[in-house]
Amino acid sequence: MSNALPLLEREEDLAAVVAGPWQTVVWDDPVNLMSYVTHVFREYFGYSREHAHRLMLAVHNDGHAVVAEGAREQMELHTQAMHAYGLTATVREAPK
Amino acid sequence: MTAQRTVMLAPVELTHLDALLQQFLSLLDAPSPVADPAIARLVPAGYREDQSAAQEFRRLTEGDLLAARRRDAERVRATLAASDAAAPDSAASGETPCEVVLDAESTAAWLRTLTALRLVLAERLGIVTDADHHPDDPRFSVYEWVGYRLELLLQELDA
Repeated sequence: MSNALPLLEREEDLAAVVAGPWQTVVWDDPVNLMSYVTHVFREYFGYSREHAHRLMLAVHNDGHAVVAEGAREQMELHTQAMHAYGLTATVREAPK
Repeated sequence: MTAQRTVMLAPVELTHLDALLQQFLSLLDAPSPVADPAIARLVPAGYREDQSAAQEFRRLTEGDLLAARRRDAERVRATLAASDAAAPDSAASGETPCEVVLDAESTAAWLRTLTALRLVLAERLGIVTDADHHPDDPRFSVYEWVGYRLELLLQELDA
C-alpha cells in the first residue's frame, strides 16, 4: 500500500499533460426520433443497446449528453459524424 | 441483421418520396445552399462558444457534409427507380405496392435521408420545440409520413 500515493500523483501528472480531455456533446432537438438517435449511437460508436438507450434518454431529458471524450481532433471527427447523421452536436473542452 | 431488406411502398408513396427527394436535391444544388435555413440545419455549428473554432470547423466540414447528403439522396432515388423499373405495371395501376430492395449501404442512406427530409420539413413548418408538433394539422402530414417510414425501417433493423 505504500506506493498508492505516488501512483495517484503520476496519474494526475499524466492528466495534466494530455490537455483536455475534450468532449463530443449531442443536443436535444424536437425532430429526431428517439429510436433513430439510439440507432446512431449504436451504429457509429458501437455502444451496447443499453448504453445507447441511456445516452439517448439523457439527451432527451437533460437537453444534452456527452457521448465521447478524448483528444480534440477525435471529438471533431465524432461531431462531424453526428452532423452527417442529422444530429446536433458540438465539441467542447471538458468542464473543469 | 441481414444485409438486404425490402421496403414496401404504395405507388403514390414512391412518387411522393421521389418528388420530395428532387426538391431536396434542388435545395442542395442552389448557388449558396446554406443561405436556406432548412439546409443550414444540416450543417450545424461545431462549437457553441468559440466562434472562430466554429468557423474553422464549418470551413473544413460543410462541403463534405452537403456532398454526402447529395450522394445519399441520389442513392435513395436510385433504389426507387429500380423498384419502378422492376414493376412498371403495378406503378401504373396505383394499387399494388412497390418492392424497394435495400442493401446495407442503401439502408443507411435511407435512414440518413429520411432524417434529413424531416429536418428540412421541420424548418419549413417552424418546429422549434416539442410543443410545435401538431400531428392533426394537415401541413404536418408529409412530415409525419416521413417519420412513420423512418420508424418502420428502424423497427425492422432492430428486429
